[in-house]
Amino acid sequence: MPSTQTPPLTGTAIDPPALRPPIDDAAIERIEPANIHSRLTELKRDGFTMLLDLGAVDYPQRTPRFDVVYHLLNLRQTKRVRLLCGLAGDDPKLPTATDLWKSADWAEREIFDLFGITFEGHPDLRRIQMPNDWEGHPLRKDYPLRGPARERSPRPAFALKSNVQAGTPPSGRTLEALQRQIAKIRGEDASK
Amino acid sequence: MSMTTSPLTPEIVSHEGSAMVLSMGPQHPSTHGVLQIMLEIEGENIIKAEPEIGYLHTGIEKTAENLFWSQAQTVIERMDYLAPSSNAYCYCLAVEQLLGITERIPERARQIRVLQAELTRIASHCVWLGTHGIDLGALSAFFYCFDMREKILDLQEAAGGARMHPNYLRVGGVQADLPSGFMEQLDALIEMFPERVRDLRKLLQANPILQDRLIDVGIMSQDEAQDWSITGPSLRATGIAYDVRRAFPYGGYEAYEFDIPTRTEGDSYARFLVRLDEMEQSMRIVKQVRDALRPGPIAIDDTKVMPPPKETIALSMEALIHHFKIMTEGFRVPPGDVYQAVEGPRGELGYYVVSDGGNRPYRVRTRPPSLYNLQALKGLAPGNLIADLVVIIGSLDPVFGEVDR
Repeated sequence: MPSTQTPPLTGTAIDPPALRPPIDDAAIERIEPANIHSRLTELKRDGFTMLLDLGAVDYPQRTPRFDVVYHLLNLRQTKRVRLLCGLAGDDPKLPTATDLWKSADWAEREIFDLFGITFEGHPDLRRIQMPNDWEGHPLRKDYPLRGPARERSPRPAFALKSNVQAGTPPSGRTLEALQRQIAKIRGEDASK
Repeated sequence: MSMTTSPLTPEIVSHEGSAMVLSMGPQHPSTHGVLQIMLEIEGENIIKAEPEIGYLHTGIEKTAENLFWSQAQTVIERMDYLAPSSNAYCYCLAVEQLLGITERIPERARQIRVLQAELTRIASHCVWLGTHGIDLGALSAFFYCFDMREKILDLQEAAGGARMHPNYLRVGGVQADLPSGFMEQLDALIEMFPERVRDLRKLLQANPILQDRLIDVGIMSQDEAQDWSITGPSLRATGIAYDVRRAFPYGGYEAYEFDIPTRTEGDSYARFLVRLDEMEQSMRIVKQVRDALRPGPIAIDDTKVMPPPKETIALSMEALIHHFKIMTEGFRVPPGDVYQAVEGPRGELGYYVVSDGGNRPYRVRTRPPSLYNLQALKGLAPGNLIADLVVIIGSLDPVFGEVDR
């Protein structure tokens, strides 16, 4: 049986991004969830015309628990900005950015799917990577590496193994009986 | 939270009047993988297209969090399976920034990495061109492309030991030096390349059928491209000369001369031409690297990151200990976060990597160019015919290992 336990966290840092001055070429800003939409609008007006990516990180030992990370790009001045937005662990919510950039659509759906963070005002917020009936949010740190065993999605009945029977040798039978036997094996309901 | 919808029937869209809903894929030869598109059509005209992805979701980001820093690279290479070295390159650069050893990577290692990245780009574009041709019924180009790609895969196999996923680049350098005979093989490729691209151009570029199918199909304006976060050749086909290699140089790309091919039409034919030109520019870089290569160390001289050479562990106690520690525990990376991007064959490939100071990545978030490029299908497809949708998907060049991860 595969283990359902995650390996222990090996590091000690609770808030890694806060520990170190920026080491890449992006300007970093920390924004409160209430101000994120106005800040994004402002940055877009100032020439950051591309929302390159939208990701999230889960820090279960920290308050706020989640970081939603916006990567913005200014094409004209070739500058990057990274916005980090901390979110509380219970019922995490953010306003959507789909009204500013269409590209935020799938990125926000992915965060909703894998982290359980809701984006208010998103036109079509549903799971994108996991099946629609999946339970839990796999990229959260408290979600095990191997999820619980789960019943398979229903398959059409003819594919089930129990429907396929090994035929007995046809010696001493009429042709009609043989045809019925074959039809039964194929899963057609001819036996009644 | 649970929803009761069956995964076999994605919910879709209102349909009114004479429109019907058609599910294209997930197993359809022209979708280049497992893509399902819910189409709302009226006759042959597309009114709305809603791509459904996730059929190839394998949880690579989650898996990577549970592996050592060096092991995680193995699964990360599997994301964009047509350009494994680009993924590995970007990940290595990100981890090196966190470790603070970017400046200490030896020159030869940097050159070999650039060489691998550019060869990978050519190989990836070969697959794109071949399959794009097949979508349009141009079969012969496929064989020319895959023949050339095979030559590049042979080079990757010679260097890293495997054709598809060489796992040749390492945090701190490359795994081993280029083997003897590599240069001769590379020279043969460099020599055959111009003629082969000329053949491909003759076969496809001026072909009136191909032009009929591509020109003015799937037109994207500069504003739309930015709105959908399009990067790579598809963005440059609209006239924006954004290339990560030029805008945010990394890994020694400043040293090489190359042009950024652009077009202004923004249609499928422009994307086609930009990629063809890019192959030639990549070969230009390959040639420069080939001439600049000098003997030297191929990995950082730091046994805390890179295991010491195998032959030394029988001779030195120190080397044995370091080797054992790295193989059993991996190396530790100081806490912090970093965003590193490279110009992959499909656009800006970015990694947002967070370390908590441990021997496993705390979080590896990929910015997959294919995901964003493919998403634009929602805006590009309506108003076109179903047959043109095939062209548009091909011209966006999505790779589903990367879209679904």
